[in-house]
Amino acid sequence: MTFAGRRVLVTGGSRGIGRATAEAFAREGAAVAFNYSRLEDEAEARETLAMLTAAVVPAYAARADVSDADAVAHLFSDLRDALGGAPDVLVNNAAITHDAPLMMVAEEAWDRVIATNLKGAYLCCRAALRGMIAAKGGRIVNVVSPAAFFGQEGASSYAAAKAGVVALTKSLAREVARFGITANAISPGLVDTQLIASLAEPRRRDMERQIPLGRMAAPAEIAAGILFLASPAASYVTGTTLHVDGGLTML
Amino acid sequence: MDRDALRREVKDLLATGLRLQVAPADIPDHEPIFGQTLGLDSIDALELVVLVEDRFRVSIPDEDVGRRAFASVDALVDFILAERAG
Repeated sequence: MTFAGRRVLVTGGSRGIGRATAEAFAREGAAVAFNYSRLEDEAEARETLAMLTAAVVPAYAARADVSDADAVAHLFSDLRDALGGAPDVLVNNAAITHDAPLMMVAEEAWDRVIATNLKGAYLCCRAALRGMIAAKGGRIVNVVSPAAFFGQEGASSYAAAKAGVVALTKSLAREVARFGITANAISPGLVDTQLIASLAEPRRRDMERQIPLGRMAAPAEIAAGILFLASPAASYVTGTTLHVDGGLTML
Repeated sequence: MDRDALRREVKDLLATGLRLQVAPADIPDHEPIFGQTLGLDSIDALELVVLVEDRFRVSIPDEDVGRRAFASVDALVDFILAERAG
């Protein structure tokens, strides 16, 4: 039970990588909180919460938009009450994307992606740091993407936001190292989530051929990387990106 | 709490909380807290924000408030008194 007695916040935890991560932390004994932003995610969020509670750890879920400073403040205040203190581990996983070539991206869509993916990470880090500095320790793990390093056709706002999160991670790692806090990024390659499942089989096979390991990742394989970065085993790792992508980028 | 007692408490917190090599009584009243006098930088300020918020139950939400509160020991005492009065 690597995380017994630890408190963890996973943003965007109702499904996919976030859900797998919340469950993995719970299995290792952590008290886990997560948020989700859309009303239509509520059913999945309830499922995730039920799975966490089944692991017999304190768990908490709330609907909150990470790009809204007041909502983030409320989320942190409520999770402190629910879990008995500020988080020791923050996983910034909440993200949205928008599929359109840059020339056609509506300004409002651009702003929304940057607000959720980049500003959301800033707001959640900011809210988590006071508790971590007081505790003289903490772990921040930011979920990024190969798009941050290679770019991605039709996803310029997403790629730009994720590259921004990589730079945020490095800067923050320098700022808070003296307090025993580490900040790292994890870059999942293609992960077998709902989005990928909706693709046609030939497109899927085509994507898998580009991956040296020849298959997509299971969400649990990404969660394993996140737990490593948050664990005592990663005590000397900060400011870097762990690429859990089957060899896709080899950075 | 009167002003002098609060000033002493602030200086004690600075010296012990930030592990200064300076006796609390030797911390000047009117010099900037962060800068050359005490050899503290803007990252040390993060720790002081957390310590001051916790000890004195005040809020230093961002850099604008921080700049005002940490202008000097005296400014910090004023800030705490004003926050408590409000």
